[in-house]
This record gives sequence, C-alpha cells and structure tokens, in this order.
Amino acid sequence: MKARTRAAAILLAPFFLLFTAVMVLPIGYAVWLSLFTEKQSGLGFGGAETVFTGLGNYRAALGDPAFREGFLVLIGYCLLHIPLLLTGALALALLLDSALARARRFFQLALFLPHAVPGIIAALIWVYLYTPQLSPVVKAMEAGGIGFDFFSPEGALPSVVNIALWEWLGYNMVIFYAALQAIDRSVIEAATVDGAGSWRVALSIKVPLIKASLAMVGLFTVIGSLQLFTEPLILNKGTGSAVTSTWTPNMYAYTAAFDRNDYGLAAAASVLLALTAALLSFAVTRLTGRRKGGRTA
Amino acid sequence: MSLSWSRTTRLAAGTAAALAVLTACGGGADTADRPNGPVTLTFWGWAKGTREAVAAFNASHTDIQVRFEEIPSGTAGGYAKISNAVKAGNAPDLVSIEYPSLPEFVSSGALQDIGDEFTEADRAKLLPQAVELTTLGGRTWAVPFDAAPQAFYYRKDLFERYKIPVPTTWDAFRKAAEQVRKADPEARIATFFPDDPTTFEAMAWQAGAQWFKAENDTWKIDTTDPATTKVTAYWQGLVDDGLVHKNASFSPEWTGSLKNGTTFGYLGASWGAGVLKGTLPEQSGKWAVAPLPSWDGRPASGMLGGSTFAVTKDSKRKAAAVAFAEWMSTTEEGVTARISSGTSSAFPAATALRPVARKAFDAGFFGGQDIYALFEASGASINPHWAWGPTTGTTNTAVKDVFGRIAPGGPTLADAVKAGHDATVAELTRRGLKVEG
Repeated sequence: MKARTRAAAILLAPFFLLFTAVMVLPIGYAVWLSLFTEKQSGLGFGGAETVFTGLGNYRAALGDPAFREGFLVLIGYCLLHIPLLLTGALALALLLDSALARARRFFQLALFLPHAVPGIIAALIWVYLYTPQLSPVVKAMEAGGIGFDFFSPEGALPSVVNIALWEWLGYNMVIFYAALQAIDRSVIEAATVDGAGSWRVALSIKVPLIKASLAMVGLFTVIGSLQLFTEPLILNKGTGSAVTSTWTPNMYAYTAAFDRNDYGLAAAASVLLALTAALLSFAVTRLTGRRKGGRTA
Repeated sequence: MSLSWSRTTRLAAGTAAALAVLTACGGGADTADRPNGPVTLTFWGWAKGTREAVAAFNASHTDIQVRFEEIPSGTAGGYAKISNAVKAGNAPDLVSIEYPSLPEFVSSGALQDIGDEFTEADRAKLLPQAVELTTLGGRTWAVPFDAAPQAFYYRKDLFERYKIPVPTTWDAFRKAAEQVRKADPEARIATFFPDDPTTFEAMAWQAGAQWFKAENDTWKIDTTDPATTKVTAYWQGLVDDGLVHKNASFSPEWTGSLKNGTTFGYLGASWGAGVLKGTLPEQSGKWAVAPLPSWDGRPASGMLGGSTFAVTKDSKRKAAAVAFAEWMSTTEEGVTARISSGTSSAFPAATALRPVARKAFDAGFFGGQDIYALFEASGASINPHWAWGPTTGTTNTAVKDVFGRIAPGGPTLADAVKAGHDATVAELTRRGLKVEG
C-alpha cells in the first residue's frame, strides 16, 4: 500500500510541479497584480507609486463599456460561428462517412490541413485575401457584383468567423467522422433493410448517435471562443479595419497592459475572463457528467 | 552639494573621454561600470541604419562595446517589449523611444534622468524643439536623435505628365487631389492612414493645435481648438469625397498602390525618404519632395515620429549608454555610418551635422534633389508649442479604434478626436493626476 502511494506520488509529481509553475503561480501573480494600481502626482513625471486598490481594478474593468462590449462581441461570434461550424463539420463528416465518398483519406487530410496552420499565419493569409486592392477574392466578388468590405464595421465579425471556420472546420470534422465510424454498422444495416435512404440514415440514425460529440464540440468551442485573440489582433494591428483594440476581452487585457501600461487593469480583466471560463467549464463538466449518469441508469 | 558637483564633473569627464575615443580607463565615471575590460551595453532599436551605426561604433571603440538587438518598431510591439522588460527587470541599457511615447515611459518610471551625463552644453548642439520634447518636469530623459519635420513626397513624373501643380497650401492640395483623380480614376494623391493617429496628430500640430498642455501641476487637454477643428473637417472632406486612399500605413496595399502608380504622393516626414527609397527601388528618379502644404502658404510643420535614446531605470551603465547615444546623435562618424547605409534619411537633431547627413545620403532616388535643404527649412518651421502627454498610448489607441470604423453615416474624424480626448482625461484622472478638459 505504502509503495503504491509512493509510486502514485512520484508519477503525479511532474504534473503537479508543472501545473503549479505554469498555472497556479501565474494565476496567483495575476490576482496579486490585479489588487494594485499606479498613482502619480504632479504632472506624472516623478515616476509612479504602486498602491493597493482592493477591487478597484475590477470595478474599473466592469465599469468600462469597452470591456463589456467585448463579451457581447463574443456572444455574437458564438451565435454566428458555432451553428456554421457544427453544421459544416457535420455535413462534411457525413459525406465522408457515406458510401458515396471517394478518396476519403485525401479529403480528410485536405480538410484537416488548415488546422495545422498556426492561427497567426492563417490570419495573415486571410488579411491578404480581404484587402480590397490586393485580393483576387475581393476582385472576383466585385466582378460578380458583390461589393463587400471585410474591414467595415459590419464586415468585422463575419471576417473573423470566416478565419475561425477555415481553421476549425476540418478539425471538428475529424472528431465527428471518428464518432461516425464508431457507430455499430449493424444499426445502419438494419435501417437500410427497413427501407431508409441515405438521407434518412444520416439524419435519423447517425446524427442522434453522435449527439454527445456534437454537444462536446459545441461547448468546447464556446469556451475556446473566450480566448479569441490572435485573428482579431492581426485584423486590428495590420489593417485599418473596424476591429478595435478592445474587440474581445482578451484584447482588452492586452491593450490595457501593453498600450496603456496599466498592468493592474489588465490583470483584473484577465482574472474576470478566467473566472468566466472556469464557470463555463464547470457547467460543461456537470452537464456532460449528468448526461452520462442518465444514460447508464 | 560638493558631492553632487564632483559627481557631475566626473561623469561629464567620462562622457567627454568616451567621445574623444580615449582608450583605457579615461573616464572616472566608467570605472565603476567596468572593473576589468570594456563595458558591454545592450541596445534595443529598430530605426533604419542602426545596425550599421552600431557596427561602426564597435569598430572604433575599445572601452565600450554595444550589443544591438533589433526589435519591432514601437507601436508595432516594440514599446510593449520594452515595458515588459523593464517590468521584469531584464531591460537593455539603452532603448529607442519616439518623442510621442517618451512622456509615457518617463511617467511609468521606466527611465533614468540623464541630465548629469547629457549636459546643457551637449543639448545646445541640438534642435531646441527636440530638446524641449525630451525635457519633462524640468529633467532630461533622452538623447534626441532625429528631428522629423513633415514633408510631401510625390511622383514628379506623374505630376508633370498630368500638369498638376505641386500644392503649397491645403486648398491647393485638395484641388490637386481632384486633378489626380480626374487624370486617373483609380489614382489618389495620398493616403489617409486609419491605423496611424500620429500622422493626423502631426497635421493638427502643424496647424497650431496644442492637445496636451502642462500648466503648473495640471494637464490641460484641448482638442476642440480651432486648429484641430479645421484639420479634422478638412480631412473628413478628403475622406468623404474619396480624394485620398484609405489604407493602413506601410501595409501591402499601400506599397502596392505606390508600386502600380495609383498613389501619387505620401504625406510623411524626413525619415520617409529612406522608406520610399528602400520600398520602391524601381521608381528611382521619379520622386521629389516638397514642403508640407500649409494653411496660409507660409512654411509650417509638425513633427511625425522621430527617435530618441533613453536609459532604462535599472541600467548600471548609464554613463556608457549616454556616451554611445551621444556618439550616434552628435558625432560625424555616428551620423555618417547610419545614413551611408543607404536606408536611412534621418534628419539629425544635431544642427551642425546636417551637412554630414546630406553628404552621406545618396539622393539619386529624388533625382539629386537637395532634400536636406528642404528638411532644414521645414525643421526650422516646426511649431514649438506642441508637447506630448504621459498617456500617448491611451490617446492614440482610442483615436485609432474610431479611425478604423469611420464610414459614411458612421463615426467621423471628429468622433475619433473626441474619443481620444475622453480616454486621455479618464486615464489621467485614473492615475491620480490633475486634469482639465
């Protein structure tokens, strides 16, 4: 028994050491930083004095419309992104899974490939494709009578969602495809024997059977969306687009720290964002846990 | 008193010694820095020609050696990098900071006062407007490198082909802009940079605005003065009427439109000559420079960017760092090394070194035009009343956020200026400073 405890301790130690070093300590430091602010006197050229401000930074962040609007942007992003992502990835997975599909391996790889491109590179490529004077896409659209400014206030959200879709569609398609492959073939055969066509099989048999994967992808995407940063930052820095420096909560924290030198506010915004993510994650685990419990019962 | 006096003299002696390229232990002040062997400094910057200047310094000095690390330009992430490094306690000794951002670094306590090393006599060699911008709260914070008077770069060949007169006033500029568009419906005379508030601010500066005014212990923020209002309305007109392109500064679309000749001009500053030369080598000989158009036809200029060198707060090699900075800014070798790199058209803040810069700059790109004479005149006309506040980052971020959303029926330039104003006042208040405006 003792030996087993020791083995467990030794085996778990690396995880807890790393977890402490790269998670617990930075979060603790952020919380610590978020309790202080810098005050100056005179014209402000005498240097700054760090003073304890309690929850002052939290009040400042929550009281700043720009920070709150960031969450609204995230909600809009999720409302547009998640349905498109789920239906798109599901449709592709069903196509690949259907008997009709040819060259499965090729399409699987081709669709997955964008996910292997780092987000920052993807954003740079898309910025090029969005830029009116450079982009062959914009030129083609204009030739076809569609004038759309990807950098305009109305275009900003679709532009970012489009990049995210390009990056994540293939990845989630693979998850769905794997789930579809795991379906017991006899169920599908039975349905076919009963006279169900491919549409019916797909919608009434396959989709309900991979509902758990759909829910998981949906919830993970919501939580992942909280971190939205790289793509809009590139749109903000590299172009004159309508994506503002505080477009998402993460960008708000970044701007507070690095454009405004307000590390306390940045830390408070980050902690608030982390809390939101923690709450959501908790909700997700509870929900999925309950569903599993229900199924076995 | 006597202690500080002797310290001053010793440091001054150290500086002078370093400048005179004395080997061995010449300067008293430097001995603390190097118990044995030369002092090795770290320097972060991005300006064109810096690498060449550092190499020349290292080759000609044995007492100080400089390790140069190129960082992204300030607003493209360089300033964030510097702030972080200072915060983390591993900042380089010397950093490049442009005039607009210097007060912010000073107010966050990131820099050291270098008044003892960079003395009154040294400062007298430089353009007074530049010295003024580096003297904050009565103390000296940086060694100015270049002054950056504004200038209008234009395609001489195209202006001549379409018989468009080179504008000297803003009214004439608008007329010229109309002519450019008439000559080529795809082409525009210049570009509005929605990502870059500093170009717009320089225009307000030129017109006589004074956004940040320090009076006694109070910041007076004023962006609704007649000059700003005039400039805002003028540019709103150009943008609304489609007389200028709207592209991010130095972006691929901006460069592309210069390359294919659909942008005829560039409203920039002295350092822009080197940028154009480096970006458009195939258009050599087709460009010329004119003074920035003004409101009344008399020469007037704001300042757009311009670099200074500042010593970070934890550096223990202040004397050596200042000596090196002064070498770059105020010696013939320093200026020549940078400008003969071919990529820099910096206009030295050191008045006596302008002929040196002129000689080192290959003006073939501008058909041999004496661009330094033009910078000289333009530099003298820099409106001396502008100062930068300690919240440039906040101000410019707020302005830029609205710039990006400017659209018919949407926010206007005036809204952007107001957003910058409000953000500035809020930030100053938040820091516990007294502010009016």
